[in-house]
This record gives sequence, C-alpha cells and structure tokens, in this order.
Amino acid sequence: MRLKVNGRQVEAKEGTLLLDLVEVPTLCHHHHTETKGLCRLCLVEVNGRLLPACATQAQEGMEVRTDTEDLKALRRTLLEWLALSTDLSQAPALLELLEAHQGQPQRWGSLPVTRREREPIRDNPFFLRDYAKCVNCRRCVDACGDGIMGVYALTLEDRGLLAHPTTPLDRPLPGTPCVFCGNCVQVCPTGALRPLSMEV
Amino acid sequence: MEKPSLLPLLDARLPLTEEGVAEAARLAGVPLAQAWGVVRYYPRYRGLPQGRLLVDDPVARARGFARLLEGADGTHPPLGLEALSPIHVRIEGRERYVEHQGHRVPFQEFRLPFHLGRGERLLPPEPILDLEAYRRRGGLEGLKGLLEGRLSPVGLIQAVEEAGLLGRGGAAFPTHIKMRAVAQGAPPKYLVVNADESEPGNFKDRFLLEHHPYLVLEGALLAALATGASRVFLYVRDEFEAAIQGLEKAIAELKEAGRLPVPTEVFRSGGLYICGEETALLESMEGKRAEPRLKPPFPVEKGLWGRPTLVQNVETLANLPLILKEGPGTWRQKEPKLFSISGDVARPGLYELPLGTPLEDAVRMAGGEPGELRAVLLGGAAGVFTRELTFPLRYRERLPLGAGAIVAFGQGVDLWEVLLGLVEFFREESCGKCFPCPLGTAVQVEMVRRRERSKALVQDLAQTLKGSLCGLGQSAYWAYQSLLEVEGAA
Ligand code: SF4
Ligand code: SF4
Ligand code: SF4
Ligand code: FES
Repeated sequence: MRLKVNGRQVEAKEGTLLLDLVEVPTLCHHHHTETKGLCRLCLVEVNGRLLPACATQAQEGMEVRTDTEDLKALRRTLLEWLALSTDLSQAPALLELLEAHQGQPQRWGSLPVTRREREPIRDNPFFLRDYAKCVNCRRCVDACGDGIMGVYALTLEDRGLLAHPTTPLDRPLPGTPCVFCGNCVQVCPTGALRPLSMEV
Repeated sequence: MEKPSLLPLLDARLPLTEEGVAEAARLAGVPLAQAWGVVRYYPRYRGLPQGRLLVDDPVARARGFARLLEGADGTHPPLGLEALSPIHVRIEGRERYVEHQGHRVPFQEFRLPFHLGRGERLLPPEPILDLEAYRRRGGLEGLKGLLEGRLSPVGLIQAVEEAGLLGRGGAAFPTHIKMRAVAQGAPPKYLVVNADESEPGNFKDRFLLEHHPYLVLEGALLAALATGASRVFLYVRDEFEAAIQGLEKAIAELKEAGRLPVPTEVFRSGGLYICGEETALLESMEGKRAEPRLKPPFPVEKGLWGRPTLVQNVETLANLPLILKEGPGTWRQKEPKLFSISGDVARPGLYELPLGTPLEDAVRMAGGEPGELRAVLLGGAAGVFTRELTFPLRYRERLPLGAGAIVAFGQGVDLWEVLLGLVEFFREESCGKCFPCPLGTAVQVEMVRRRERSKALVQDLAQTLKGSLCGLGQSAYWAYQSLLEVEGAA
C-alpha cells in the first residue's frame, strides 16, 4: 500500500498507524494505554482534514502533511497554553518541545483560573498526586482501569479546564481498590504522579 | 450489551449520598469509579445552584446583563426562552420555577408561549396535543401506510433522498445516507431522537416537542421502521419538563391506539450543551460522562451499546411525515426550515420559512428593521455575527445556518458584551476531554475581556481550536472572528 507523506511516496502495511510513519510530537498516546486522540499534538493533515496520527490508520492513496504553517501554529499554541495553565517543571520533554517550537506563553496574557493552584495530595507512602502538574491526558486512569490493571481506583472529576483525575468518592488512595502497582506513575508524562522517593 | 443505564438510577436517588451512588453503580453493574466520575460531571448530581438565576443568553447580554444580574444569585444556561427576555429561573431544593414578566410558573407547566409565526408553512400553526386532533389533521397516515405495506422501508428512505432532507441539528448531513447505513447494519439497532437543544438563541426543537409531540413521534417511528431499529429513545433535555410530560402522554396514547410499532421511551438528558453532540449523548445514555467519542467509528456503525444507531435531530424527524404527506417533490420545492428569531425584533418567535429566504426578509418578517441593526448573530453560540443581510438562508451558503437561530442586535448594543457571554458559555460547556478546547476557550474569555484585536493571536487561537476533537471546540471561535470582521466592515 502506498501513500504520500509531505509529498514523498511511502510504502506501508495496511492498518499501520500514521504515527509510525511520521515525525510528530505526542503526549496523550502511550503504547500501554488506550488513550489517544486527546492532546491533538500529533494532528496531521490528511487530504485537507485534521486527524490525530496516533488514532488514524494509513490508507492507500492518502496525502499526509505534517509540517504546514497551520499545523506548526497549532502545536506551538497548544504547548504555550499548556505552559500557561499547568506546572510543567517536572516534564522536561514538554519544556524542550516548547522551546523547540519557540513558544512564548506570555503572549496570551494570564489566566485567572489555572491548574497550578492545586495542592499536592499525599495520601499514601508510595507516590504523590500533584495535579497542579496534570494535563489531564488520562493515561493513569486508563492504566488503572480498562487498559492495564482493571482495578478502577481512579476516575475523573469536573469538566473543562479543571477536569482531572480523582479517586472513587474522592477517598484517599488506601481507601480505594488501589493495589499500589505503580502503573499509573509509570505512564504519567508530566510528573503529576511521582514516587515519593524522588521528593527531597 | 445493553445494561440498566446509570443516569436514571442516580436520578432516582437524588439528592445523592455515598450509599446511593454505590447502590446505583451496583445496579448498573459498573465500577464505583465510573459512577463517581459521572456524579462529578453532571451539575444535577453535583448539586444544582440554588436561588434566583438569570438565564444567560445573548439577548440578556444585549439588554444590560450586569444590571439584570444584580437582582440574581447567579446565571442559568439558556433554555430556549430568549425571545421573551429577561427570564429568571428559581431553584429551591429540587423545585424549579420560571419567572418572567412578573409571573412565576412551575417548570413542568411552562411552555413556550408563542405560536408559529407567519411565513409559508407545512407545520400546523396551532399546538396539537391529543391524538384525535392529530388524526383529524391527517396525522399518522404515513405510519399507517408503512404498517399496512403500502410503503416499504426502502421506499421511505428513497422518499427522504428525493426530498433532499438535510439534518436540522446544525451539521446538515444528508438524512437518507445515515438512514441507509443503519438499515444495512445487523440488528439489534436503535433510534435516538436528539432532543437536547441547549444552544443560546435556539428554541425550535423545544417548540416542536411542546406543541407537536405526535408529529415528532410519528417521524421517529417512521425512521425506526425504515431502519429496522428495535427501540426508540427520545433523549430530551432534562429542563424541558412540559415536553417530557407531553411526550410520555403521547407515547401512552399511541400505544393504547395500537399505533406504537416500536417500543419508545423518554430518556432524561444529562442537562449539558455537550450532551447534544451525538456521541457524547450516546455515552451519557450508556451511563458515562457525556464526552464525545473519537470518530470513526460513527454511530451508524457503532452507536448505542456498540450497535448501529440512528441519531437524529427533532426537526429532521418531524419532517418525515410532512415529506410523505406533501410528496418528496413538493416538499423539496417548499423546503421548510424552522428559524428561532429573537433579539431586537417586534415579534420574536418561531418562523417556518423556505430555505433560500434572504436573511433580511426573515428579520423583517419578525418585525425587525434590517437597516437599523448593528449586526445579526446567525446560528446561535456556534454562529457568526454578520452585517450583510442580503444573502439567502441556505445550507452551505456563505455563512453557517447552524440549527437556525437568528438573533438581531440594534444600534445600542455592545456586541463585545454579547460575545463575552458566548465565549463564557463555551468555556463553561467544554467537557475537557481533548486539549485545545478547555485551554483555548479559557484563553479566549480573557482575550475577549480585554477586547484583544491582534490578528496574529486571534489567528492562532482559531487555528488551534480548529484541532479540537468535536464541534464544540471547533466552532468556539467563530463568533469572535466574525465580530472582528463586522468591526472591520463598520
Ligand atoms: S497504583 Fe493504584 S491507582 Fe495506580 S494504577 Fe496501580 S492500582 Fe491504580
Ligand atoms: S496524573 Fe499524569 S497520567 Fe494522569 S492524567 Fe494527569 S498527567 Fe496524565
Ligand atoms: S472539543 Fe471541547 S467539548 Fe469537544 S471533546 Fe474537546 S473538550 Fe470536549
Ligand atoms: S498523541 Fe495523538 S492526540 Fe495525543
């Protein structure tokens, strides 16, 4: 099967993810969880439509573009907004990406309500839940539930900018079905969940 | 597989306790985590705001919103009452009232008080609230034809195709294509009537549900029979109490008369704007947070409980009996569309106009003076401001019709105030599933507050919101961008 990526002919097997054929940043996608299509950082243009490379299969004859001015503006802006609203200090990969895209979060002014105001939750001896750093990618929720563990100790709270993970009935983790397997910490891309051993 | 839905189980346990949530989760057969995620999503499970609330809509914004707000304890999302403004809603515990023009009416008794405005019409101008009256006016003939074999399911879909009916919910997708896709799918299949209209400036579906329940039901049953759906669900906005009661009465009457070939029931919506997005709607029916799904797969392949599902807007379905009655050719010539016209017009209300009517004629018909307006907001919150009123109201014309809202603003109106209301609406209604929308709608509110006119910033805002997962985020900047254009043209 053949398709075009940025004008170049590419051979691919039927059903290959576009993500495996193109170079684009990702954030919500992880090979151990089913999260995809949420962060929109990996968007590419396919025959004029915006599609997430992490959730789109290659098809015969596709014309894929990854580097249009519009896509560059989109990625840069999205990274700027993330930096504006969320504490990325424990997410070096995202900070590098922001720099590589020449992001200037300040150009948007300030947000009166951000995620940064959240206090870290210390409710267990193993890891911290520091949702000021959470981008709501839901990798942890999926890892704990449908994706890996099937334990369902995590769920989601609220809507819009303030949506973020929580526990059933907002209980401390030891009061939930959590078995402290650490999968959620493993998949968290921002340091919002991090081992207490890393704290000084 | 079909399971008892979580939302009605939670509804039955309001006000919720931890035990109530746990019990509902157990009965629905879902993890407590899922039930808790649902409780922390929908306002009615989190607890409704109490007190006297101003219905926040573009018209209220245009009429001194800040002053109106002084006598209120907060705001309430639009209810399709914009034509009457200003409106307050009073919530006391679980009791809700509508306050307007000095009257206080319980929610369940309140119907949109106006009748169908003038214009060429296929819809009966007066409400038809019992089966006999509906029959006297030639109702149920289409359904009878289908049940008695004078019309085949394939024939019905063909008639819809010949009529060229486009979905009336805003997306304007050809109805017959969706119907045919579901008809070809393997059973069990479902039909869901999307009656979750919650967009500022739009009140046409609410009107149809309250005034023409039999027409809506006949349309739904026709579509169900044509596609082989084994159940019909009417997903009705929770606040439309009078409509819900009217529909339930009509369903019972049809059943009694032996004219309910497919089991039909009302499902109370989650009560949020995003619940009208068809996949978010299905998620909420399945007992989850109403968050849009990634598409593909589309609902016609994998809809409710993973089964082929036809999700159709109220007005779209109400047109099926009319197409059969008129004949597809005649219907197509008249191409009726309902427009909710409000704002600075003498006779705000609902108007049935043929597609192709110039916008200025529509405004005039409702008693507006096109020459004296500052702008018209076309299409509701997910709409655009325009000063150019000569073009025809038609799908895929210059500007999007959306669901058919037209809000006129006179010279005294500060359009930036109106815009602020619209962008705050988007920020409040963003579900938060994807990234560009919750971030971008929050940034946008601040931009509009400071009346940001930088082309570069607005361009990047638009470009990024365009990448959102669903139509809510994708259209959230239209009003902003169009206001800058209107200003530039002034
Ligand atoms: S550590 Fe607990 S919360 Fe995290 S994935 Fe494992 S069981 Fe779930
Ligand atoms: S805590 Fe980490 S993994 Fe979980 S949603 Fe937030 S950023 Fe993603
Ligand atoms: S665009 Fe907005 S409403 Fe739609 S999925 Fe994304 S966050 Fe939710
Ligand atoms: S990585 Fe593809 S949308 Fe997030």
